[in-house]
Amino acid sequence: MNPKEEKVKIIAEEFTENEEDAAVGRRKKKVQRQQRKKQPPTAGPEEMVSETPHLGPQQEPGQEEPKTHLLSTTARRGPRSLPPIPSASRTGFAEFSMRERMREKLQAARSKAESALLQEIPTPRPRRLRSPSERESETEFGTEPGKEVRRTQQDDDSQNYSKVKFRDSGRKIKSKPQVPPGFPSPEEAYNFFTFNFDPEPEEERSEEEKAGAKTRGGADQEAGAPGQQVNTTADEEELLDGREAEDLLLGLEHMADDFVAIRPAEYESVHHWLQKEKEMLFVPSRLTVPTYKKLPENVQPRFLEDEGLYIGARPEVARTTGNIMENRLLVQEPERGWFGDDGRILALPSPIKPFPSRPPVLPRGQSTAAELETLYKKAVKYVHRSQHMIGSGDPSGNFQVDIDISGLIFTHHPCFSREHVLAAKLAQLYDQYLARHQRNKAKFLTDKLHALRNAVQTGLNPEKPQQSLETTQKTIKEYKAEIWQTRRLRDAEQEKDRTLLKTIIKVWKEMKSLREFQRFTNTPLKLVLRKEKVDQKADEEAFEAEIQAEISELLEEHREEYEQKMEEYRAAHQQWKAWKRAQRARKKKKKHATEEPPDEETEEAPPEEDPGKPVPPEPTDRAVLEQQVRERAAQSRRRPGEPTLVPELSLAGSVTPNDQCPRVEVLRREDVRRRSVYLKVLFNNKEVSRTVSRQLGADFRVHFGQIFNLQIFNWPESLTLQVYETVGHSSATLLAEVFLPIPETTVVTGRAPIEEVEFSSNQHVTLDHEGVGSGVPFSFEADGSNQLILMTSGKVSHSVAWAIGENGIPLIPPLSQQNIGFRSALKRADAISSIGTSGLADMKKLAKWATESKLDPNDPNNAPLMQLISVATSGESYVPDFFRLEQLQQEFNFVSDEELNRSKRFRLLQLRNQEVPEFRNYKQIPVYDREIMEKVFQDYEKRLRDRNVIETKDHIDTHRATVAKYLQQVRESVINRFLIAKHHFLLTDLVVEEEVPNISILGLSLFKLAEQKRPLRPRRKGRKKVTAQSLSDGDVKLLVNIIRAYDIPVRTPTPSKFQQPSRSSRTFVEKHAASPSTHSPTHSADYPLGQVLVRPFVEVSFQRTICHTTTAEGPNPSWNEELELPFRAPNGDYSTASLQSVKDDVFINIFDEVLYDVLEDDRERGRGIHTRIERHWLGCVKIPFSTIYFQSRIDGTFKIDIPPVLLGYSKERSMMIERGFDSVRSLSEGSYITLFITMEPQLVPGESVREKFDSQEDEKLLQATEKFQAECALKFPNRQCLTTVIDISGKTVFITRYLRPLNPPEELLTVYPSNPQATAELVARYVSLIPFLPDTVSFAGICDLWSTSDQFLDLLAGDEEEHAVLLCNYFLSLGKKAWLVMGSAIPEGPTAYVLTWEQNHYLIWNPCSGHFYGQFDTFCPLKSVGCLIGPDNVWFNIQQYDSPLRINFDVTKPKLWKSFFSRSLPYPGLSSVQPEELIYQCTDKAAAAELQDRIEKILKEKIMDWRPRHLTRWNRYCTSTLRHFLPLLERSQGEDVEDDHRAELLKQLGDYRFSGFPLHMAYSEVKPLIEAVYSTGVHNIDVPNVEFALAVYIHPYPKNVLSVWIYVASLIRSR
Amino acid sequence: MAEVHVIGQIMGATGFSESSLFCKWGIHTGAAWKLLSGVREGQTQVDTPQVGDMAYWSHPIDLHFATKGLQGWPRLHLQVWSQDGFGRCQLEGYGFCHVPSSPGTHQLQCPTWRPLGSWREQLARVFVGGGPQLLHGDTIYSGADRYRLHTAAGGTVHLELGLLLRHFDRYGVEC
Repeated sequence: MNPKEEKVKIIAEEFTENEEDAAVGRRKKKVQRQQRKKQPPTAGPEEMVSETPHLGPQQEPGQEEPKTHLLSTTARRGPRSLPPIPSASRTGFAEFSMRERMREKLQAARSKAESALLQEIPTPRPRRLRSPSERESETEFGTEPGKEVRRTQQDDDSQNYSKVKFRDSGRKIKSKPQVPPGFPSPEEAYNFFTFNFDPEPEEERSEEEKAGAKTRGGADQEAGAPGQQVNTTADEEELLDGREAEDLLLGLEHMADDFVAIRPAEYESVHHWLQKEKEMLFVPSRLTVPTYKKLPENVQPRFLEDEGLYIGARPEVARTTGNIMENRLLVQEPERGWFGDDGRILALPSPIKPFPSRPPVLPRGQSTAAELETLYKKAVKYVHRSQHMIGSGDPSGNFQVDIDISGLIFTHHPCFSREHVLAAKLAQLYDQYLARHQRNKAKFLTDKLHALRNAVQTGLNPEKPQQSLETTQKTIKEYKAEIWQTRRLRDAEQEKDRTLLKTIIKVWKEMKSLREFQRFTNTPLKLVLRKEKVDQKADEEAFEAEIQAEISELLEEHREEYEQKMEEYRAAHQQWKAWKRAQRARKKKKKHATEEPPDEETEEAPPEEDPGKPVPPEPTDRAVLEQQVRERAAQSRRRPGEPTLVPELSLAGSVTPNDQCPRVEVLRREDVRRRSVYLKVLFNNKEVSRTVSRQLGADFRVHFGQIFNLQIFNWPESLTLQVYETVGHSSATLLAEVFLPIPETTVVTGRAPIEEVEFSSNQHVTLDHEGVGSGVPFSFEADGSNQLILMTSGKVSHSVAWAIGENGIPLIPPLSQQNIGFRSALKRADAISSIGTSGLADMKKLAKWATESKLDPNDPNNAPLMQLISVATSGESYVPDFFRLEQLQQEFNFVSDEELNRSKRFRLLQLRNQEVPEFRNYKQIPVYDREIMEKVFQDYEKRLRDRNVIETKDHIDTHRATVAKYLQQVRESVINRFLIAKHHFLLTDLVVEEEVPNISILGLSLFKLAEQKRPLRPRRKGRKKVTAQSLSDGDVKLLVNIIRAYDIPVRTPTPSKFQQPSRSSRTFVEKHAASPSTHSPTHSADYPLGQVLVRPFVEVSFQRTICHTTTAEGPNPSWNEELELPFRAPNGDYSTASLQSVKDDVFINIFDEVLYDVLEDDRERGRGIHTRIERHWLGCVKIPFSTIYFQSRIDGTFKIDIPPVLLGYSKERSMMIERGFDSVRSLSEGSYITLFITMEPQLVPGESVREKFDSQEDEKLLQATEKFQAECALKFPNRQCLTTVIDISGKTVFITRYLRPLNPPEELLTVYPSNPQATAELVARYVSLIPFLPDTVSFAGICDLWSTSDQFLDLLAGDEEEHAVLLCNYFLSLGKKAWLVMGSAIPEGPTAYVLTWEQNHYLIWNPCSGHFYGQFDTFCPLKSVGCLIGPDNVWFNIQQYDSPLRINFDVTKPKLWKSFFSRSLPYPGLSSVQPEELIYQCTDKAAAAELQDRIEKILKEKIMDWRPRHLTRWNRYCTSTLRHFLPLLERSQGEDVEDDHRAELLKQLGDYRFSGFPLHMAYSEVKPLIEAVYSTGVHNIDVPNVEFALAVYIHPYPKNVLSVWIYVASLIRSR
Repeated sequence: MAEVHVIGQIMGATGFSESSLFCKWGIHTGAAWKLLSGVREGQTQVDTPQVGDMAYWSHPIDLHFATKGLQGWPRLHLQVWSQDGFGRCQLEGYGFCHVPSSPGTHQLQCPTWRPLGSWREQLARVFVGGGPQLLHGDTIYSGADRYRLHTAAGGTVHLELGLLLRHFDRYGVEC
């Protein structure tokens, strides 16, 4: 067969393997059929490929195995013995072995077939030997019949052999030629096993064979078998021949009996069997092997773990398995290399990872149940409040802290008598003594010293020669250093002990003398000094020995030192000598050889310095040393023979009873008895519970013994105990606060030790009895010297621990709700729970610590820690506790993440969805990326980038820029905080419901039918409100109804007219307007009545839209006109939040319309009128849009803001009733305008957040405020009642905490030292100069935040409340009686004013403008008063009226004012949130000047911008004049300078017509200044030859408060 | 980079035993999906049908997704609740359906089920309201072996969803 054929066979074999079992029977039949056909097995290769022909030779050997063994020779088999094909994984071992055998048989058969081909071609073997039954059995048992089976078959065969044989031979005769002798047929081979040899040896052999086959493999079998079998075959042949011959002879008639021998079934006894097995097999014992067997002779087992070495955990092995292994190893490999020192099998540490890298497969039943678990929930009503509670993340949070407060001991108390003070001191010292005694450091150190000395002794003895001398030297040196160290320490300790003892005795003596002196005892303390006799001699010896030892050591040290110094000295000396010699030599040389070149000398010059002769060190003197040592010993040590003193403090003494004490002492004791103490427990600054109030004992100890179980939700931030003391029935005073540490997570109830925490109070108490007081100096001496100041102090003994739940789980909240994931991941790593540290937050740090502290990684104690660290540092702490669902996500992605993120369109869509301001109002987004410009994002990215960069461009002033940034940040954080709350809607927010008309409404509407169409006095009716969402641009209008004005300034005749009569022409209007505006009756005669004094009109500008009324005449004009201005929301966003943040102002400007005749030629006068209209700004009213939005309408009379200097105009003096408090000064200076402003349609103002805030206030107080407010609201729902406000960090604060006297700037107080009224005004002006910024704008729609005065001054922005609070505080510090008035005013709406009590009247101050009004001033903008707030109380107005005109401000009358703190709720003494005092920095004058210049420049540029079509000329001369004038105005606050100024101006600018005015503003930003200048309309003059003048002056006030004056004027040259 | 725009409404529900019904809904997507605009979850009003059986909510759904893969196609999960005369809410059924994957308008019917609970709980449900609810809401759309969960059938929620797909063809997805 060629190799190709072989290959094919292999394929075929592989192919048929599977079918073999199933098709065995079928195949066999087929095979036999083929055999019968005598087909030669050697077919061509093409035949071999097909299955059927090949099966023949394959299967044949199955039956003819023995034969093949006989026939096959090793030589022939050689090339064909195929190596076993590696089995495919699907086949098991059994199958494999079976196949193996098959293959062998195959080979054998093949060789046989070949041989048959070679030798037996003419006579192929007939193959019908077996009986059908045998065949059956064969098929049953497959191709691998067991030996037993074979034997039974053999038996069968042998039984009916003769018959078979007979038939067979018959057939042979018939059809086939005889098998040639010497070639056994398969049958013969087979029969060979069944016949004529005793079965025993054969059995044995075959069994051996089998075993061999099993163990050794096929090769052995083949090698061993043939020789032996050949012999047997030979025997058989003879036999067979004989039988055959017999058969033939006897013929067919022979009966079966003759051929059949009946034999008993063969049986081998089990015992025998086992016996044999025992010989054959080795079964290791399961018993434990004694250790000695495993170890070498005479070796004790060593346990490394006990020796402190780290050996990892051994892998888990069942004990019997281990035993079996050990037994086997002992027998098979007795070299004992397998066992370690401890007698166990050597093993690597368990390789199992500490945590599974595969998600744990939970027990089946549990997991599914847990996942599909349902929870019966009751039908619930939705409670909205709880939904939005901040910080209630986990509803299942049920945690508990147990606080055990066992007691309190005062170490000092005001009621301590002097004796108590001493007693406390004594007790303290004694405690110290006990502690020291217990530690007994001195003894320890002494022992150590001894040990070290011994070590040195032994080290010095050369007993251990194997150690190198060097190391010994080194260790000895180290020892000595240590001895020195220890000795020093010991001496110090001993000295301390001694001094302590001395002090104790001293204090005790003092106490005794005090007791004697005062003739009574207060404390049961008693000190007993117990003397312990010592053996004098031994003691002395010991002492002496000690001293000697010390001396010798010292000596040695000194000697060493000396030697070292000597060494140094010698070296130095040598050097010196050498130098000396050199010197001398040189000198000699110099003498001898002067001809030497001079440069050499210079070379030698350096070493010429004289090192100086070294001084030899002094050897130490023993006597001196001894002296020193002895002195020291005497000082710090007990003298020899002196008895040791042991103090014992007992409470055995008796206290003198009361009746024997002097009166002061009795008083003291009574006082003590009256006092009681209790503790409040504060958790996260909230009182959660308090202990019972316990009386103070005579020993100043209080026992509470209470345990508080706090059920908590949040992670504890602080735990505080407040110690309160009550005296008699008065209110409790807070003594001190004790801060308890929050327990570690490992500390649970039952395990927490009782700890003592000290506290002390800084209160000052002076008592009128024996008690020494607290914080007060007192003395023990009679002369009062040696004073002592003690503060109340004490100790609280407590324990804090986490409670344990029902099932033993500690009720500890997770460290932080956010990083739950991380923690749970960590929890799984077992190491952590075993260490139990709670501060595992930073593993890196832990690892660092471990490396730094050089932890022994082999120490078993550190094993878990090391493991943890290795986990942490290797970054393996990430435990996958998930099963990835989207495993192939990556492979199936369309695009990468980056590409997805790069898409501009998506980004734009997302940003719009997130309502990022820049993109919120994008209506349409392009469909393709390419259509989106890159610059769209530029602004947004810039904003993100610049968030922390302070931009000074818009603000000019860095401080303000910083503040603006800060405000922006506060705003953002606040807004983020309330984002949830904002999404919380009520039904009314969503549903607008028309009220169902009821009878009364119907009735009213019926009445309406009857009413007049156009009533004489129309009233305004309420309108329907519109929700903001449905609006768009142009829908909203601002309606301004200008009704009338009072007291408009009138034109004054220009004095120039009189001074300069030479003016060529007088204009038309001037003639008319020339009337002096004074209208005292005396003057009025000069001017004809009915002359037009002023022709005012009103111009309203809003969002740069301008509307104006018609021109009216006279100082008290009446317009009654409605102006309509469109309103445009920013970015077209009409949402509530956006509307609230509109910062625009409505400017209502009053102008005087002046006509100038411009007719140049008098001749034309008759034919035409040629005039020019000029308008002169008179004043303005500024109303912020937000006010209109929140008020929804503004109706009232407002004071017109008129510049302090209005050239050419003056006030008409009319008959005024005296309104003001100050009869001297007329308050009628103001001009007033009556307005009505509203929005069309009416918008629904945003409501403030309905939310409760955190508070640090007492819970009781908060409840009281709620109650108070509810009561007030019930009575007067419209009056403002304020008890708590929200501070800038979003916490509720009681309002009176804001009021506290605060110092105004020193600078202001020194201006008018003698005039308090003027000072008050100045202060008010200062406050009003701080820019106004409504909270509603900055914290749109969220809430009104109150900042404290220092915050306010730092921010330099705030609304009415901040101004009012600051002003009120200033007034309080000025010694005035001042209150905060919460009420409503026009135009602000709800606001805060300040009320002060002057000698006999009340003044109402507007903090934002700095103006003040008398109580009965009709023009006071404050229209109603809700409540008054003082520094210690709040009063609510319960009078019938709320107008300040009609109410009584006397808050002491309980019928008129309902006070918050009353007898039932006393004022608890709330501390202020304000700082102690305000610190003012002087504003940098240079910076102000610089700012001034910049503003001036900006304004000039702006004016030029506003006049694009005209040339703008600046009159420098005028500007400089104005610039000089402005500081004057500031100084006089814009009063009483007008006339001088006018005169001066006229003098300087004689031939100019001048119109202009100074504007005064508080400085916040540039933009409002620009707006203000714009609104005056100065730039609108378009006379060709007009010139402008503009001057800016900034006056700096402390704290960067700037007062800005802008003088803007236009000049027209008159010829 | 493909985009999916889901526009539609939760029409209403039929076949529930209670009458005042509302529905909480949410949409769940795989990690590859990114919500560009719209809200992922919501809640309808309580509708009390006056005529007929069907409670109409007509609750708008408008979501715009971008995706980088097909895995985790959006699925809607619904919870139908009922409100009783005392204003208490109780669960009526959980429902789940995939958002259709072909563009166009689709009428969907989403049957619902609710956990049955023990007989005690059933009894309590009949008399005092409330009822067993799933502890883990994601069971509605995630496959655990739910055969342990005994449920009762609820009514059907009707949805009408319109789908706009974009750029799927660019990545070889035909639709």
